[in-house]
Amino acid sequence: MDAIRLEAISKQLGEREVLSDVSFTVKQGDIFGYLGPNGAGKTTTIRILLGLLQPTSGKATILGDDVSRDEARRKVGFVLESDGLYDNKTAEENLWYYTRIYGMAEPAERIDRVLELVELRDRARDKVGTYSKGMRQRLALARAMTHNPELLVLDEPTAGVDPSGQMEVREVILNMAHKEGRTIFLSSHNLDEVQRICNRIALIDRGEIKLYGELEQLQRERSGNEVEIETTEAIAEPLLAELKSLSRLGLRERKGNILTFAPQEGVRIPDIVSLLVGRGVEIEGVSKKEASLEEIYSAILKEVEPS
Amino acid sequence: MKGMLVVLRNDLGDTLHSKSLLIVVSIIGALIVAAAVGVPIALKGWLADGISWDEAKPLLELCIGLAANYVPLIVLFSCMATWATDPIAKEKAKGPIESLLATPLTARGVWIGKSLAIFLPAYIIGLMATLIVILTMNLAAILPTTGHFVLPLAAAFTSFLFLPLFMLALVMVGIIFSLITNPVIGQTIIIFVGVVLMQVVGQVGGRILWLLTSWDYALYNLAGAALLGIIAFYLSRSLTKEKIILSSKGRWA
Ligand SMILES: Nc1ncnc2c1ncn2[C@@H]1O[C@H](COP(=O)(O)OP(=O)(O)OP(=O)(O)O)[C@@H](O)[C@H]1O
Ligand SMILES: [Mg+2]
Repeated sequence: MDAIRLEAISKQLGEREVLSDVSFTVKQGDIFGYLGPNGAGKTTTIRILLGLLQPTSGKATILGDDVSRDEARRKVGFVLESDGLYDNKTAEENLWYYTRIYGMAEPAERIDRVLELVELRDRARDKVGTYSKGMRQRLALARAMTHNPELLVLDEPTAGVDPSGQMEVREVILNMAHKEGRTIFLSSHNLDEVQRICNRIALIDRGEIKLYGELEQLQRERSGNEVEIETTEAIAEPLLAELKSLSRLGLRERKGNILTFAPQEGVRIPDIVSLLVGRGVEIEGVSKKEASLEEIYSAILKEVEPS
Repeated sequence: MKGMLVVLRNDLGDTLHSKSLLIVVSIIGALIVAAAVGVPIALKGWLADGISWDEAKPLLELCIGLAANYVPLIVLFSCMATWATDPIAKEKAKGPIESLLATPLTARGVWIGKSLAIFLPAYIIGLMATLIVILTMNLAAILPTTGHFVLPLAAAFTSFLFLPLFMLALVMVGIIFSLITNPVIGQTIIIFVGVVLMQVVGQVGGRILWLLTSWDYALYNLAGAALLGIIAFYLSRSLTKEKIILSSKGRWA
């Protein structure tokens, strides 16, 4: 069973087609990153997933249940764009309300535990109105986890949180995924964060999915064939000139001890390495250069930019 | 059903802890004390003039009828007008309602829970206030001087059952409007109907003396409740989460 499955979802809001033909699947155990510029349709997609908006057409399921079923969300936790906390209640009271909604047994222990997880136990009895943005976001995350959900849907969980707070939030997310085997679906503007924690991604722009798949594979596919070879010492000028003259090696640049090649068809990396070794160069390391998510992201958004 | 009870419990807690409850209860309390002290004194003076029971009975019934209608009406109305929309407006503007709807709770459960959380405390306060006024009028003035306890059955039904039912249906209509349009619209509906009703009870009830204690009037209340109930049911069919979410922003905001 897939954790999330969207099949050709479209959504019209007013005159505007906010989502058109959006399809992707989130598998169990995934940490799925949902990327896109402002106004791309991320929040709208999440609202459809959580039964808050009805798709104009298409089919969406969450943990195997159609999203229109209210019971489908019993095992889903979420943090929406606005944290949804009650300012006039304490952190504990906010969590109590949700434990009752989910009909949990032994809520007190669980509340204690999730507050511990997000390091808010000492502020449990303070009104949420007195919390800072980062604390609110952590509490919202705690609330999303109170009922031990199988799937977490998070709309920009680290928005407005300081770097150390972001690291803590990431830590919690990774723990949920790796130690407890939960599935995470998160939308984000933070490419670095997505690159660090997600295994699969989808990129949406103006309501259409532009890119979707395994992050590593996407990076490999989009990286071309560049190779970086690090040497113990910077190579001598004559050798550099010789390498440059061998156009099939495709020497791109030398930066300090690092040589970047984009070899032509038929040239294998070991060929370059043995050539260098043959010239008495000591090799420190060889790595295929991977496109960063940032590069992929901006390349794709440029592709779709109207000319 | 279970979800509805959770919402009811939470919102009841909010109502009971709110400052507005204190204000409402103090004002109503002061009015009730004034009525409970003043009216028996006036009645006693009037009954002491040696008026016969046959003469006094219709007028006493009118007094009790007025109290039995006016007190719950004022209490229910002022409580509902105070509590019915502000919390929902805040929940919609600041976002908690969206998170609430993303749980397994149904839109209908949220609606009914929120409506009952307003109606039930209003009803209980109204019931107590009415009982206090009717009992003191009887025990302090009517019973000692005439030997009779005056509470026309029809007026009792109107006061304790049919009028509250009408107000319950009204609050449910008001809350549905607050949820799927702008909360101000829901509040306006409740205030408008409440004010009209108070005028009717005051004006018509004071002129057609037999009206407020009659079964006819009890049935009007019941019919009104049924009519509003049907409207609420009809509206509830178009109550969707999408309407609640989209009305928080865009054209209704
Ligand atoms: N109620 C609405 N009526 C009309 N259009 C809407 C409504 N809500 C959202 N939209 C439009 O839908 C588009 C997508 O909005 P959405 O909030 O899903 O974007 P997003 O990807 O979450 O953006 P951000 O990164 O800024 O949060 C935007 O163009 C927005 O203006
Ligand atoms: Mg968004």
